[in-house]
Amino acid sequence: MGSWGFIGLAYGVAAAALVGYLFSLRGRLRDAGAALSALEGEGGRKKS
Amino acid sequence: MGPTRVGRTLGALAGLCVAVGLYLGLVAAPPDATQGEVQRIMYLHVPSILTAYAAFTATFVASALYLWRRDARADAVAVSSAEVGVVFTGIALATGSIWGKSTWGVWWTWDARLTLTAILFTIYVGYLMLRAFAEEPQAAARYGAVLAILGFFDIPLNHLAVQWWRTLHQPSSLIRPGGPSIDPALLVPLLVNLAGLLLLCGYYVVERTRLEQMRQRAMALRLMRGRRG
Repeated sequence: MGSWGFIGLAYGVAAAALVGYLFSLRGRLRDAGAALSALEGEGGRKKS
Repeated sequence: MGPTRVGRTLGALAGLCVAVGLYLGLVAAPPDATQGEVQRIMYLHVPSILTAYAAFTATFVASALYLWRRDARADAVAVSSAEVGVVFTGIALATGSIWGKSTWGVWWTWDARLTLTAILFTIYVGYLMLRAFAEEPQAAARYGAVLAILGFFDIPLNHLAVQWWRTLHQPSSLIRPGGPSIDPALLVPLLVNLAGLLLLCGYYVVERTRLEQMRQRAMALRLMRGRRG
């Protein structure tokens, strides 16, 4: 592998990790938001 | 629920700074006199580990604050910054290994700096496992805070390792007594990339803390419902 091959590999691995983490974080935020809304909705219905 | 205004601002600034940093590091900066083009990995490797240090410093401060005040917000910041720190340490280890293969001819060697970085990574992966699998969340937060504080001391040790022991890893050229020893043509792209990754780290920590606070709120609601029967 030449110099640019190593550079591409390093930057590719880092980009995959950073973008992958961003997508995972967004997915977990969406799921947690939905779960929290459901719990709060449940509480509101019980109160009324 | 979308990102907060702070999150959006940090995200936009990080994107801009990383884009400029990539251009400077991959196109504008001259190749190194001895290593040639492959030295461009430095613009990613060095900022990654320094960003990881910053994230773990936040974990250290937030953990100490949690042990002192038992503040759930501090615990949310601690667990979030530890997770983000692990991501950046993983990147530093991977890019260091690739750089090592191209310059030393090996993917890995049990050099003091590399070994202490691997230990740092393992400590905080252990911390995240403790937080994820413990049955009693408050006890996990307490034990986790102690582990995070103890684990933090690997960072100064890691930084000084290249001075204390004969290592294959080169000595620090950025954070050292007497200031950076790098030519400005290489230093500017390095600092721009560092700023970009620090902003990105800030964005991740803000968003991950928001997630942790949602989880804390959901857990509190479930507990309240459980008590009411």
